[in-house]
Amino acid sequence: MSITLYNYVLSGNCYKVRLLANLLNIKYETVAIDFHPGKEHQSEPLLKLNPAGTLPILVANGQVFTETQAMLVWLAQQHDPSCSWWPINNANQLAAVVQWLGFSSRLSATIGELRLHSMLNNTINIDSAQHGAKICLRELESHLTEQRIIGQQWLTGDQPTIADVACFPYTALSPDAGIEHDEYPLIRGWLHALRSLDNFLTMPGIHELHELGSTIRDKT
Amino acid sequence: MTTEPIGLAQDLAPKGVMRAQIGHADMAIWRSTSGVISAWENRCPHRGMRLSHGFVRGESLACAYHGWHYDCDAKCHYIPAHPELEPPSTIRPAIYSVVEKAGIIWVNTAGTATPAELPDRLLGLRTITMQCDLSTAAHAIASAAQTNAALFNGSVNDINSDQTILSLANPNGTDGICILFQQPLAQSTVIHVLAHDSYSQNELIAISRWCESVRREAERIMQSSNKVEPAK
Repeated sequence: MSITLYNYVLSGNCYKVRLLANLLNIKYETVAIDFHPGKEHQSEPLLKLNPAGTLPILVANGQVFTETQAMLVWLAQQHDPSCSWWPINNANQLAAVVQWLGFSSRLSATIGELRLHSMLNNTINIDSAQHGAKICLRELESHLTEQRIIGQQWLTGDQPTIADVACFPYTALSPDAGIEHDEYPLIRGWLHALRSLDNFLTMPGIHELHELGSTIRDKT
Repeated sequence: MTTEPIGLAQDLAPKGVMRAQIGHADMAIWRSTSGVISAWENRCPHRGMRLSHGFVRGESLACAYHGWHYDCDAKCHYIPAHPELEPPSTIRPAIYSVVEKAGIIWVNTAGTATPAELPDRLLGLRTITMQCDLSTAAHAIASAAQTNAALFNGSVNDINSDQTILSLANPNGTDGICILFQQPLAQSTVIHVLAHDSYSQNELIAISRWCESVRREAERIMQSSNKVEPAK
């Protein structure tokens, strides 16, 4: 089996794919793309692969995926025999996962765009993106509140799914876009839970939780 | 300075760090792995980095900048760049009095924290931040309590007669929810909502959604009043 990810290390969407692959112990190759300043994703060789000119691109056994959510579905369906990350045996939960995959696009379109503006000075409608980001984070916080009321820690149940993976990066990276997590205690708890998973993977702006394996410095 | 509620105890799990502001006091509140809670000035004595960005390591908080470790007494006990050094005992952030009672974290920035007396059998539901002033938030809450007969009977009691804790009775007239107002910031008001333990899960979800409706209404009122009276 050959899996190749056309990757940009600072991209939240590329990170979703790397994160899930790591969580599921999937081996893959990466091809580093000079997104900035080279705009290599909009060069002819990459446009042949993905006419939309976006990243990531995943080539799995010859099949080309250009939508992040499809990559997550493929990785989970291929490599998660427990069917917990992509819960195909539970119609209600499966639909909820797809619902939150859609929600993750709204995070990309708001927080993700604000972050690109902060980092690369891309031209965007800042007021509209900030308003949309606030609506998204409030919706997520309220949903996690209701999940806690019914005793569930994750977005769609008591186990994480690709929905959690898809919504995690831009929520975690919102401080890059000027939006702190101070107002969102349930979101903070959910981010912490995801970062605590075995085989969690970091990216610039999303650090590991240092308490793991660092107790040699704890003199108490 | 009074004792202020700054969050729900359950929203700060072991190994968690959060930021809170009361007046001009900016603080880092953290819980050690064993559960000890601390509230400190949000400033590393080394380079002034916000300690709320730090990491909990066992019974210490480590600054995110250069990793200086502070124990639960706020004493610096380890500096990674000088591993053999015993740091002077004077290196410590300012500490605030913090206690947990009735599912709430209470902080006093200028004295010993003495929590308000609350009715029994309340459980933390959620903390919610509204982009409005306190009186607009209180007004929106009181009027929304009149119009939701399924959840409340419309009576709103001012528990400590200074509009900082409101109690809304449930439809049969007994304890319903308590709303604690944190001392408001310039642009926002933070409320902590506690609900009686007799509510069902569905009712708690309805109360949570009611809070969101109240926030939308309060912010709508605030925005329209700002349009009528531009900032002076």
